Amino acid sequence: MKKLKGRFVWSMMAVLAAVLLAFGATRSSGPTTQEERIDAISKRLACPTCNGESIYVSRASAAESIRNEIARQVASGQRADDEIVAYIESRFPGSLLLPPGEGVDSLIWVLPVVALVCGFGGLVVVFRKWKREGDVEADSDDAGIVAAALRNYDDPTEGL
Amino acid sequence: MPAAVWASGVAGPVGRGALLVGVVAAAFGAIAAITAARESARGEVTRTARLVPRFVALSFLAALGAIVAMEWAMITRDFSLQYVQDHGSRSTPPLYNFTAVWSALEGSILLWILALALSAGLVAWRYRRRLDDQLITWAIAVICIVMVFFFILSFGPANPFAEGAPGVTDGPGPNPLLQNHILVLFHPPILYLGYVGFTVPFAFAIAALITGRVGEGWLLETRRWTLFAWGFLTVGIILGGWWSYEVLGWSGVWAWDPVENASLLPWLTGTAYIHSVLVQERRGMLRVWNLSLLLATFSLTILGTFLTRSGVLNSVHAFSESDIGTYLLVFFGIIVLVSLVLIGWRGDSLRSPGAIDSPVSREGAFLANNVLFSIFAFIVLLGTVFPLIIEALQDRQISVAEPFFDRLSIPIGIAMLALMCIAPVLPWRKASTELLRDRLFWPAWCGIGALVAGLVSGADGLAPLLAFALGGFSGGAALRQVALATRRQGWRGLVGRANGGMIVHVGVILIAVALSASNAYTRSQELRLSVGTPATFAGHTFELVGFREDKDDRSTAVKALVAVDGGQAYAPAITKFLNMGMNVGTPSVKTTWRYDIYLTLEPPVKMDSGEARIKVFVKPLIMWLWIGGGLMAIGTVLAAFPGRRRRRPTDPTSADVPTNVERVVT
Repeated sequence: MKKLKGRFVWSMMAVLAAVLLAFGATRSSGPTTQEERIDAISKRLACPTCNGESIYVSRASAAESIRNEIARQVASGQRADDEIVAYIESRFPGSLLLPPGEGVDSLIWVLPVVALVCGFGGLVVVFRKWKREGDVEADSDDAGIVAAALRNYDDPTEGL
Repeated sequence: MPAAVWASGVAGPVGRGALLVGVVAAAFGAIAAITAARESARGEVTRTARLVPRFVALSFLAALGAIVAMEWAMITRDFSLQYVQDHGSRSTPPLYNFTAVWSALEGSILLWILALALSAGLVAWRYRRRLDDQLITWAIAVICIVMVFFFILSFGPANPFAEGAPGVTDGPGPNPLLQNHILVLFHPPILYLGYVGFTVPFAFAIAALITGRVGEGWLLETRRWTLFAWGFLTVGIILGGWWSYEVLGWSGVWAWDPVENASLLPWLTGTAYIHSVLVQERRGMLRVWNLSLLLATFSLTILGTFLTRSGVLNSVHAFSESDIGTYLLVFFGIIVLVSLVLIGWRGDSLRSPGAIDSPVSREGAFLANNVLFSIFAFIVLLGTVFPLIIEALQDRQISVAEPFFDRLSIPIGIAMLALMCIAPVLPWRKASTELLRDRLFWPAWCGIGALVAGLVSGADGLAPLLAFALGGFSGGAALRQVALATRRQGWRGLVGRANGGMIVHVGVILIAVALSASNAYTRSQELRLSVGTPATFAGHTFELVGFREDKDDRSTAVKALVAVDGGQAYAPAITKFLNMGMNVGTPSVKTTWRYDIYLTLEPPVKMDSGEARIKVFVKPLIMWLWIGGGLMAIGTVLAAFPGRRRRRPTDPTSADVPTNVERVVT
């Protein structure tokens, strides 16, 4: 049993997992329907009249007409997804749902990374501190306290 | 009818009267509780304490009276009230007329107050014999003060009993989205019980800071209250997802809408707390941190209410807005200020000695959990308020929505799953690699198994496959703990914080896997169906059988009958609500344990043409979201039961001196 759960079997398992993941991550995802392209594009765009909902989610008529425009573009097959998104954005400024990483807007991407670094950095710092504190040597005062406690202590296991 | 004549117009004065009684009773309750606390602090025998439960009971009756008055007005169609004019109608069916009371802000606050008064009542009743303890009376005082605030809010700026224009005899009824699914009866009240429930641990945290009780006693009182609040919030959020799926017609459960985010924020900090509190129970550490989490959780419920109800953020959920924003913002400011001042004043005396020996230990894992949950909460808060900050600074509108949250929540979710693989098997204090290799062996194989199962069923893409693998691994780790515990202790191995917690973990893992699969592998297609000509998509056939029109006096529903795979006909519909002139689509879903087939009818519908545009979504594993939610609820209840008898956290941490030598040997 010890052998079974040893380092060797574990590394085999890790290799197996890595191979399977690599195989799955790189294999082709099969054909997508036009509708799936439309869904993917419309998830990236905001509906102009409905408070931050995406075109995909919204059932408002403005969203409906933009969805039809996307459908026309996809059906004509002349533009790639990114080009369609850029086209819609040029007609309805501010409809991009993903904030671009420029200027002040980039803070929305920077701050989470800062939080991550601070969070785990802080964890490392406290563990270091605890490690130092954990190594405190007992001094003569501590020894005195222990000795005093032992003098007042009846050992119930005595004589067993 | 004389009865109706008498009844009409009575709800307004009765409701306002009840709210006024509530303000006064809660205020007196707070004063009495503070007086009692100060008396017992001086060591006097307190007589005032006996008054506290009476005032609390009176506040509860007032809250109940106010909401009953509102229901009475709604049920009797008392159109003298503005609220009934706006949200009631003669044609609303009884069930949705009943729920119309909380279909807008003013009525929702009545429900909030009722939940708050109920928690106050439960606290006063639970500790009725310990009212000479100043920790208890301070806690009740805090709850009463919060209650005063909400009673004033309802009595003043968010008055549900305001008189409407005379002569109105009918109204539009509630928003159509709030009158076509039964879940509107359950989702808001359960969610509110969750939100409001966090007031109790908050009150105990404040009481602990005021009294300076450095011991762990107050934790015993708050852990279970927090667990119940957390359980209700969890169930409320999941029911909200279910409602979205069944009603909104875009086939999703979660849209990162500001109101959804506002409910997720306290859930995240609450989840962090129910984990890290175990470190305090066991090791007496992290006192200040745990207090801060409770204070943050309650503050976030108020901040979330402010963000979503004041009109600063727009959302599909914000069914109405008003000028209560300033009140909520001031209240939020006061809470944060009081919390910070108290922590600054008491923090140092609360700080505990001791150290966590190794990061690879149960307490180390809880800390990593806390960091992850805090970062997640920070990201959700940032994404929710970022457009506000940009608008304030640069007077320019940007949207932060699903693509942002998806991109950041996927890695965090995967990190959380990875932590759930290892954390359950970690012992306290320190773990060796041999021990981990041994305990994680079979769970890891479960992970490989889940990965293979995913690949066999055609899954691709790194993130979902990682989620499946880690889901299998962490599921194995959780079930291993349950199996070991039940083998040792029989049915008792299912109850208690650790064992019940593992059931919750299994539920969370099911939800994570189901969300990954349904987000990554949804197939969709719009089909133009003609009667009698079946179409095929994703291996299923769809045939338009015909149309049906259902009319009642509030709406006209056009349903397309679509036979799926030659079997039962499903009926996605478009309902026209006559009062609102609004069209609402209603999806129809075929559910199996492997996938859902989700059908919506797309406008415009011409019944006589014999054609319909049907949008079909084939979504894998959706049913497991609801099963996972159910397991989370069951696990929470199991975790709230006391498990195996163990050391009370208030007892000394050192072990008893062994009197039986044999026990030492074995």
